[in-house]
Amino acid sequence: MMMITNTVGVIALSKREIRRFLVVASQTIFPPLVTSLLFMFIFGVAIGKRIDFSGMGLSYLGFIVPGLMTIHLISSSYENTSSSLFIARWHNHIQEVLLAPLSYFEIVLGLLAGGLARGLMVCSGVYLISLLFDVIPIMHPFILVYFAITISVIFSCAGMLGALWAEDFGMLNLWNVYFIVPLVMMGGVFHPMSMLPDIVQKISVFNPLFYLVNGIRYSVTGISDAPVLICAAISAFLSIAFFFFTVYLFKIGYKLRT
Amino acid sequence: MRNSQVAIKINELNKYYGKLCALNNISFEVQRGEFFAFLGPNGAGKTTTINIITGLSNYLSGKVEIFGYDVTKDYLKTRRLVGLCAQEYNFDPFLTTHQLLVYQAGYFSVLPKEASKRADELLERFGLSDKRNVRHRALSGGMKKRLLLCRALIHDPEIIILDEPTAGCDLELKFRIWDYLTQLNKEGKTIFLTTHYMEEAERLCKTIGIINRGRIVRIGNKIDVLRDQSLESVFLEVTGPEKVY
Repeated sequence: MMMITNTVGVIALSKREIRRFLVVASQTIFPPLVTSLLFMFIFGVAIGKRIDFSGMGLSYLGFIVPGLMTIHLISSSYENTSSSLFIARWHNHIQEVLLAPLSYFEIVLGLLAGGLARGLMVCSGVYLISLLFDVIPIMHPFILVYFAITISVIFSCAGMLGALWAEDFGMLNLWNVYFIVPLVMMGGVFHPMSMLPDIVQKISVFNPLFYLVNGIRYSVTGISDAPVLICAAISAFLSIAFFFFTVYLFKIGYKLRT
Repeated sequence: MRNSQVAIKINELNKYYGKLCALNNISFEVQRGEFFAFLGPNGAGKTTTINIITGLSNYLSGKVEIFGYDVTKDYLKTRRLVGLCAQEYNFDPFLTTHQLLVYQAGYFSVLPKEASKRADELLERFGLSDKRNVRHRALSGGMKKRLLLCRALIHDPEIIILDEPTAGCDLELKFRIWDYLTQLNKEGKTIFLTTHYMEEAERLCKTIGIINRGRIVRIGNKIDVLRDQSLESVFLEVTGPEKVY
């Protein structure tokens, strides 16, 4: 059932998920902001001044800020849902939700709310921190909202998939460390594609995260290594695919029902 | 809720864990307003049956209905009708007892103001008011047990399923829980109880079902099941090695 019939229930679950990360903001919100501050200072200001980006019409700091926004949007969304759902499985208080008259669609929506809220909060925070160094005007705010939401949906759902798949805390972060972070890094967070060897540039077109990073970069700076429509289509397709696959796994009770 | 007199109807239910047959074609009914004891040795299939009724377990074949609604097809309706007091302490570790109950009520569509009122009433009734703002880790075993009961009752369900609710409780708490369950039953609630305490089942329940190795081996009203014997004798008779199917 792909409609909301238990609105109060979805709101309650969403509130719990948002409250969960807000009460430990020192572990969930501030660390990525501190990391971003350091990245911006070291790479954007100290080293960035020596990198000639005049050909692109922006500073190196202006180039990396959208990349940092994307990387923290992705990791915050992923970490929120993966830790919340995995801990709920671990302590078995996932039963509180499974026993309730919430459809599987509604359960995924409720869990997603936490990932979305944390991802968007951190992404906005990274941008606000960049204002300490330079004012980088947002060229296309509505497109930025579109990419931020779709990217957060993709990785919030990926976090839930990781949490369902993992059997212990070690497995929980495998996808993030060995798959997502390398693909984001190679997707052009710190460099334009033109700086890479030809062979790597050719391989990068198969990296879906390259399009997500460039979608955010286009929204902020108006510059992208890939056509923005393709970035938008890939982002939409992945968010829909991940969302419905997650709902499907909840429906069949994958590692949730015996 | 349909105007069915049958609260729980299980028909030819089969459940396997891999090759292990956990439930072997079991069928029985629990009438509306009944206090039903579901007994059996460890691993007999009691919790599996409860998990299927509440939607926590899948099953191979058969049919399970709550007041005429199928637990698989109409799960959104059946879940509103059932409150489960589980065997284990499975609470969200980040929430206080009051928050835990308010969120749980919310999942059942109870609005926050009403949920908070109900949570306070239940905490008061079970002597947990002074623990309103602490997390469950700060509670004793008996308090956690009471909190499990509060959680099962927060949405005012028609059927209350209790999986060994008094295990590990001291005598005073046990009597208090018994009194409260008797009162709930008098108010019309259907109660489905599993326990290893024969005295508890004998004292509280009107109907008794005994399961052994995934099969129902005895079921009926208390007088018919006991036939002038103690429940302990009947239990040992039907679950003993000579009666293994």
